[in-house]
Amino acid sequence: MNDAETMIEVVDLHKHFKDLHVLRGISTTVKQSEVVAVMGPSGSGKSTFLRCLNRLEEPSSGHIYIEGVDILAPYIDINRVRTEIGMVFQSFNLFPHLTAIENIKLAPMSVRKLSDKEAVDRGMALLEKVDLAEKADTYPEQLSGGQQQRVAIARALAMQPQIMFFDEPTSALDPEMIGEVLDVMRNMAKEGMTMMVVSHEMGFIKEAADRILFLVDGEVVEDGTPDHIFNRTTHERTLEFLSKII
Amino acid sequence: MSTRPDNTHKFVRTHPSWSVWLRRPPVVALSFALLASYAVFLLPSAETESSLLFYLNINLFILYVLFCTGNVLADGKKPESLKMLVALALIAIMCWLFYRYSGAEWHRLREFFFNWEKLQGKWWILWQGLEVTLLLAFISGIGSVLIGLLVAILHTLHSPTLNFFLRVYIDVFRSIPMIVIMVFIFFALPFMGISLGSIVTTVLALSLGYGAYATECFRAGIESVHTGQLEAARSLGLSRWKTISKIILPQAFPVVIPPLTGILVAMLKDTAVASIVAAPELLKRARELYTSETNPTPLVAAALIYLMVLIPLVRVVNVLENKLGKKRSR
Ligand SMILES: Nc1ncnc2c1ncn2[C@@H]1O[C@H](COP(=O)(O)OP(=O)(O)O)[C@@H](O)[C@H]1O
Ligand SMILES: [Mg+2]
Repeated sequence: MNDAETMIEVVDLHKHFKDLHVLRGISTTVKQSEVVAVMGPSGSGKSTFLRCLNRLEEPSSGHIYIEGVDILAPYIDINRVRTEIGMVFQSFNLFPHLTAIENIKLAPMSVRKLSDKEAVDRGMALLEKVDLAEKADTYPEQLSGGQQQRVAIARALAMQPQIMFFDEPTSALDPEMIGEVLDVMRNMAKEGMTMMVVSHEMGFIKEAADRILFLVDGEVVEDGTPDHIFNRTTHERTLEFLSKII
Repeated sequence: MSTRPDNTHKFVRTHPSWSVWLRRPPVVALSFALLASYAVFLLPSAETESSLLFYLNINLFILYVLFCTGNVLADGKKPESLKMLVALALIAIMCWLFYRYSGAEWHRLREFFFNWEKLQGKWWILWQGLEVTLLLAFISGIGSVLIGLLVAILHTLHSPTLNFFLRVYIDVFRSIPMIVIMVFIFFALPFMGISLGSIVTTVLALSLGYGAYATECFRAGIESVHTGQLEAARSLGLSRWKTISKIILPQAFPVVIPPLTGILVAMLKDTAVASIVAAPELLKRARELYTSETNPTPLVAAALIYLMVLIPLVRVVNVLENKLGKKRSR
């Protein structure tokens, strides 16, 4: 792992919402093909952390390097950075006025300037991958939650990002649909995608994650392998949290 | 079969219900009989000099008519056909009362209100006025939609300074009566050396005034789009403008169209204000005819033309609003 390229480097990241100090100096490094799970109690700043990394939120201070580039520098076009980072949301956020395939091809066509045919080809291949090829012309409204989330993953992948962020991708799903989404994510992990995943799906994390970042009140209180965190931690807050979610 | 417990005492009516009692058929019949005899025996003739007692009497009668008819109309169990009959009777009685007691000189109605001979060979003047009205509405409609769209999009930049000035524009133009805006541009600005023709004045005033309303309408539409949509688009690397044009606006439009149509219809009506600044639109032309013919028939004709144009549009707005309502409640 040591010789792998560093994909994300965060140095002393702080975020304030007015008086609320949400992120209190987070530093971490994510290597290529690493899968990092972010865990922690609700309100601990997990979403804010991910959203700062692609500047959906502006960090208050600190440094963020994506593929070695300081993305907070003034000469950076953040839209180009974002094309390198796919993001999947808890509430899917598919575009309701577009069909599945239109959702997927929109960004490749208008940002990457692909032709309609290229974008559709790429989109169909991705829909195939998430096992939804037959739903290409369906509007999100008519898809189940699990199907919507898989389309959302395909939409993010269509930009061929180097990194994927998942913010509680299965929290809004009915239990019987969680598996199908986690399967897709597992496959991505196997194929070597660099991933940061906010999730409390223990099974998935144990199997797919290389590391767990444990966040409490905007600080990383633990950073270790799943085996370490789940079986050998002695940290009080971690134990307390784990006892609640199991 | 199990026996039902007897809990009637828990739900039985303990207060007398006047509304139920009043709607019993014998009671309704009796009240209409009383109404008829009141009309025949108690109502004064029109020639009676007007006194306090006279007005009191008429008003009492009207109240009683409303009471009797309202009693039937509010009854959910009565058939709709009967209600329609009662409603028509109510209207007839009111018209009759107005005819008999208003003191208007009815023989003049034909001569001054519906004297179509006066308009013979002059209808083209009104049609020309209508053309100008529609043209004014069309151009100002485009103007106000463009202004509304622009201001609403600028609003999405969330810049406090910019928003302050946009707010000033919206509030100022929503607060000044349209007629004041027009009069100001047409009669006051020339003193500063700015003379705009009546057409330009009208288009400018209507666009600015209704642009402020359109802005609010577009803003509400844009705000109805979930912020998650914006985040999803931005996280894909879409630029601000692409996000607005491909994600936000297509979702906002279905929400915007019904109220926007309503605003444009209101604007079409307000083109009549332009007659104050001598724009040759429908009302202005009708008033010219009214002066030259010394007969108000052209005004009646203008009113009828406005009705003919606007009733269908008002219906359209209504249909659109109902559709939106259904979509929202799904
Ligand atoms: N846009 C915002 N404005 C103000 N406070 C916010 C905003 N977003 C998040 N917060 C606050 O930041 C804290 C962390 O939120 P979040 O990152 O969503 O936590 P998590 O995802 O771990 O549940 C919470 O207290 C939340 O109320
Ligand atoms: Mg969260």
